[in-house]
Amino acid sequence: RANYPLYIRSIPTENELKFHYTVHTSLDVVDEKISAMGKALVDQRELYLGLLYPTEDYKVYGYVTNSKVKFVMVVDSSNTALRDNEIRSMFRKLHNSYTDIMCNPFYNPGDRIHSRAFDNMVNSMMMQVC
Amino acid sequence: MSVPDYMQCAEDHQTLLVVVQPIGIVPEESFFRIYKRISAVSQVNVRDSQRVLYIRYRHHYPPENNEWGDFQTHRKVVGLITITDCSSAKDWPQTFEKFHLQKEMYGSTLYDSRLFVFGLQGEIAEQPRTDVAFYPSYDECETVEKRIEDFIESLFIVLESKRLDRATDKSGDKIPLLCVPFEKKDFVGLDTDSSLLLGLKRHYKKRCQGRMRKHVGDLCLQAGMLQDSLVHYHMAVELLRSVNDFLWLGAALEGLCSASVIYHYPGGTGGKVGSRRAQGGSLSAEAGNRHRPGAQEVLIDPGALTSNGINADTSAEIGRAKNCLSPEDIIDKYKEAISYYGKYKNAGVIELEACVKAVRVLAIQKRSMEASEFLQNAVYINLRQLSEEEKIQRYSILSELYERIGFHRKSAFFKRIAAMQCAAPSIPEPGWRACYKLLLETLPGYSLSLDPKDFSKGTHRGWAAVQMRLLHELVYASRRMGNPALSVRHLSFLLQTMLDFLSDQEKKDVTQSLESYTAKCPGTMEFITLPDGLKLPPVPFTKLPIVRSVKLLNLPTSLRPHKMKSLLAQNVSTKSPFIYSPIIAHNRGEERTKKIDFQWVQGDVCEVQLMVYNPMPFELRVENMGLLTTGVEFESLPAALSLPAESGLYPVTLVGVPQTTGQITVNGYHTSVFGVFSDCLLDNLPGVKTNGCTVEVIPALPRLQISTSLPRSAHTLQPSSGDEISTNVSVQLYNGETQQLIIKLENIGTEPLETLEVTSKTVNTKEKLYGDFLSWKLEDTLSQFPLKPGKIATFTVNIKVKLDFSCQENLLQDLNDDGISVSGLPLSSPFRQVVKPRVEAKPVNPQESSKAGDFSHVKTLEAILNFKYSGGPGHVEGYYRNLSLGLHVEVEPSVFFTRVSTLPATSTRQCHLLLDVFNSTEHELTISARNNEDLILHAGECQRMAIQVDKFNFESFPESPADGTQFANEKQLEEERQQAKGLEINSKLDICWKIISFHKYLL
Repeated sequence: RANYPLYIRSIPTENELKFHYTVHTSLDVVDEKISAMGKALVDQRELYLGLLYPTEDYKVYGYVTNSKVKFVMVVDSSNTALRDNEIRSMFRKLHNSYTDIMCNPFYNPGDRIHSRAFDNMVNSMMMQVC
Repeated sequence: MSVPDYMQCAEDHQTLLVVVQPIGIVPEESFFRIYKRISAVSQVNVRDSQRVLYIRYRHHYPPENNEWGDFQTHRKVVGLITITDCSSAKDWPQTFEKFHLQKEMYGSTLYDSRLFVFGLQGEIAEQPRTDVAFYPSYDECETVEKRIEDFIESLFIVLESKRLDRATDKSGDKIPLLCVPFEKKDFVGLDTDSSLLLGLKRHYKKRCQGRMRKHVGDLCLQAGMLQDSLVHYHMAVELLRSVNDFLWLGAALEGLCSASVIYHYPGGTGGKVGSRRAQGGSLSAEAGNRHRPGAQEVLIDPGALTSNGINADTSAEIGRAKNCLSPEDIIDKYKEAISYYGKYKNAGVIELEACVKAVRVLAIQKRSMEASEFLQNAVYINLRQLSEEEKIQRYSILSELYERIGFHRKSAFFKRIAAMQCAAPSIPEPGWRACYKLLLETLPGYSLSLDPKDFSKGTHRGWAAVQMRLLHELVYASRRMGNPALSVRHLSFLLQTMLDFLSDQEKKDVTQSLESYTAKCPGTMEFITLPDGLKLPPVPFTKLPIVRSVKLLNLPTSLRPHKMKSLLAQNVSTKSPFIYSPIIAHNRGEERTKKIDFQWVQGDVCEVQLMVYNPMPFELRVENMGLLTTGVEFESLPAALSLPAESGLYPVTLVGVPQTTGQITVNGYHTSVFGVFSDCLLDNLPGVKTNGCTVEVIPALPRLQISTSLPRSAHTLQPSSGDEISTNVSVQLYNGETQQLIIKLENIGTEPLETLEVTSKTVNTKEKLYGDFLSWKLEDTLSQFPLKPGKIATFTVNIKVKLDFSCQENLLQDLNDDGISVSGLPLSSPFRQVVKPRVEAKPVNPQESSKAGDFSHVKTLEAILNFKYSGGPGHVEGYYRNLSLGLHVEVEPSVFFTRVSTLPATSTRQCHLLLDVFNSTEHELTISARNNEDLILHAGECQRMAIQVDKFNFESFPESPADGTQFANEKQLEEERQQAKGLEINSKLDICWKIISFHKYLL
């Protein structure tokens, strides 16, 4: 929300910094999209932002919850099996999992996420894709 | 055409390009001075029309770009101004020759040219020539502006004639085909007249017409005829679309867009360019009006706007609005044009520039998403191999454009790439300075500020991994710049702010490099000011080590100052009318710098305890750690400490000496870690617990140290009323023994000791104590006062122990083993009686009797001697110090008289007192009584001794039993102990003994 990462994870782990850059710069687009939508239907807006921008190798998708928590997903652009619907469902899963974390009374909103359940969920999602 | 001009914007389409160049050797400074003056003339109102001419000046323009002049006329160099320095008439022909050479370079497109000669005087200068102007020096050239205006007017005349020529020339066949450079070879050999197919010929003709139409449009635009140009562009688009001449169609569309943009946004889209123009001197009033931000929505037509600001031609306005594209259409058309350009590889530059122009327009329209799409596209346009410098320029421009559409992160990303490009390994001379400067500019994009204060509050902001990387690069760049202080600063910032995100290995690496840098240049607490005015605030290492709590310690008890009673009462000020109010207590908790209710003494070492821990995975050496204080002159004694890796909380005591009196506030500490000096203020530290930092310092007091003749004791007396005992001594005495305790009082402070008061208090009150336990004479000691520093005074205390051991039933039972109870004995004297009622009541217990052999019935006496002393300035203020001496006395039983009886003596006035004396010590002893021979008693032996005493009449003192004690039998007992091992210890003690049973009897 305040534009710092709560959780970040990538497969493969090498070249992680590059993903950091990608995700970081994509936040610009997220901001822009939110501010464009913001004035109108705040309540019933679509959480899924769709493709943020395509680069040569990756596609960046965004998703923003009602409390302005942002999820950004970067996938290989050669991966054609992933269509909009799949991405959308993945984000939904991610959101559900995030909600679970927030339900944890010991989690302090704004801290980095160290939940094992969340880890596992993200891992399983990544495995599924790759 | 290979060099893209990233500064291009849509308005440039309406400008005439003039190249200003020096020939020969012209000092750069003077050239740019002239250039600036020339550039100021960027808008010219042509004399007899309402049209305005815009001029674009370049001091460098590659001739290859000029070749695209037919495609878009604003790329065509139409004017040339050369500036030369010619000092003598001899050089003149040569200079003139050069001018002509220069003219030939752009020859094909030039409309007119001028030569400005500086420094030449004489007859050549007298010749009136239109294309040459002579000025005596760079300072005396007032007419430059006028000349330029004339020059531009002549350009306009040529332009106008060309425009009219082209526009009216409708004879279809003769229209030449305009080509871009790479098209030329395609058309070579294509004989236009002998084309076989009529269709092809018509096709070709149309193409020629379309291109020409577009060209005319360009010319109209340049000549300030917006309306006409729009019409021409529209026609051109129609024509070219039908013949699928995509490149030119794109150009026509772009021209249309440009014209519309100029119409819609007279404020300009170039931003920087616009403001630069506005600064131009002569037209500033009008230009400033026109470039006012926010004015872009106001539809002011620059072509129709005369100098007096009256729009003369309203009909033209209406017609214009019809042909003009709406803002949405502009973008659509731009998109279309760019897609057409995209079909041609060689038109990359055109495409790129079109993208840039479109982005600028979109930025004004505040449509960031679309702009980003254009930019994204621009990124992918692949130009031929760019030189490094061009790459840097390209990335910088991309960054600038992203900035403009509000994509700060993306902008930072490209800026960083540009910075990295500055220092790319392929460049022979890496521009670290430029790299550093660019990197600094990226900081806001990564939400990173170089002020550590921004990071101390709350959670971390920004993208740590990326920020770390950036900081590393900053460090590296600054090091290569040859500014070690800067790299130290950045590195310490990295360590301080990113500590939570660094892995163990990284922590090690960072600290190692930091140490190596600081070896050359130690880190300081000063602001570092960069050449461009940016100030780098100092970075205190508040996390190395992390301080958890700060506690000011009171002085040790013996040194603690006390206020005289009368003054103390005033101190308890009542802030509230309530005796107790929870609100006050609450308020105090909030006050961080509340005063602590103890005092420090000037000149005495004061301590502050910090609880610290080391977050690093290795041993942390903290050097020169001291306190930062305000209020009182404070001499801080720095400490060095070494904290083990990832230690838990570790107490550190920082000491210092206050040099003056008053209020002292501890507001921080300073450290030196890895060669970086840091001042950490407590206010800026998160999560530090303090119990107040302000303490009053009172004037100096003397210090007293005491030492005694007795050994120190392991026993510590429990303080009775909060007092702590500074020294404990112990002594072992037999009951009845007296010993002298010599106390040495040494003044170890710096102030003279002026007063001393001694009081004593017996702690152990269970035992019955007879007589004075401790007695002293203070006068002897006080006579030595005032005691100068370093001097010693002695003080003698007599210790006398008299205790009642008769209560020890075990012993007595032991003695009465024979079964005869004490009371059962016949007493011949009516006066004498053993008073032991408790013993009688006690039945003989075999177990107890077996234990009786152990002499475990040692009694202890404890007392505290209090020394109150004062002196020096502190005494004047009414403070004193308290020193306590704990005294621990172990009393062993010595001699018992177990049975007393009397026998009548030979004389009636006397009688024999028969005493059964029991020696409970482990030593042989002799008992001697008055006019009696010594009686030797072995350890544990019981003997009867007879003493002849005068009878006295007891009835004479019945009313005062207390006085009777004085008349109790006095016996002198000399005790001599002899050790069996040959060591002889003779201690003769005179003991004044008052036997308990006698007391009882007397009572």
